[in-house]
Amino acid sequence: MDDLIYTLKQQIIEALNLEDMKPEDIDENASLFGEGLGLDSIDALELIVLMEKNYGIRLKDPSQGKEIFKSVAVMADFISKNRTK
Amino acid sequence: MMKHEVYITPNEVKVDEKVLSHNENGSALLTELYRTHVGDYPKFFKMDTLSKLGFVASELLLQAEGAPRFEPREDRAVIFFNRSASLQADTAYQATIQDPDNFFPSPAAFVYTLPNIVTGEIAIRNKYFGETSFIVLEDCDKNIMARELQNAFQDPMTKSILGGWLDCTDENHFAAKLYLIYKS
Repeated sequence: MDDLIYTLKQQIIEALNLEDMKPEDIDENASLFGEGLGLDSIDALELIVLMEKNYGIRLKDPSQGKEIFKSVAVMADFISKNRTK
Repeated sequence: MMKHEVYITPNEVKVDEKVLSHNENGSALLTELYRTHVGDYPKFFKMDTLSKLGFVASELLLQAEGAPRFEPREDRAVIFFNRSASLQADTAYQATIQDPDNFFPSPAAFVYTLPNIVTGEIAIRNKYFGETSFIVLEDCDKNIMARELQNAFQDPMTKSILGGWLDCTDENHFAAKLYLIYKS
């Protein structure tokens, strides 16, 4: 799981252009939106694309993202249980 | 009446005719200008090159003006012109949908596939609630541009315009010649 969390942090930094940020700077338990990384609605859509592109996970209902994208740790847990690649 | 002017190309930066020294060229120059002269707006890194160009050019211009900033105002319009619309963003987005076997449309790329997004970026940053326009021309026709800017002043609310030429075809080909003009 630690490897997946680290890889996911790298992918998030790249996909969302989080310039000057390193994986170590992201607390895997911190909120991705609002107070945490301060991501916006377009970032949420990019995270949906990231999951489909890298892990073969297609969200049937985009509103699922609200739960799945709570933090990197929650996202990694969901990916590990649902990935197809 | 024009009071301040900024000129940026991939290898040259001038503010009110004064050359600004820099180390980088191309889009890296825009990032250098952001880091050196702005630095407090991480959304910059998410922008397409046209918006980055407009953003840093407007920041240099407004810093040259030296007036209080970030107070809501309706008396300033943002009006740009170019020839290439949002070509670089269009190309970047197209690349995400080109291959049927690797078809992952990027929402972040898609949102910049209109040239007038940059006018919104600047209006949001500065809390401008006046007119915003982005006019695509065949060439940099100064007569048409002057006419459009004059027309904008027909609105009694508009007292000044942040406007000018803002064109970008890719990360190494762009030009900004922006100015602040005030109603006489």
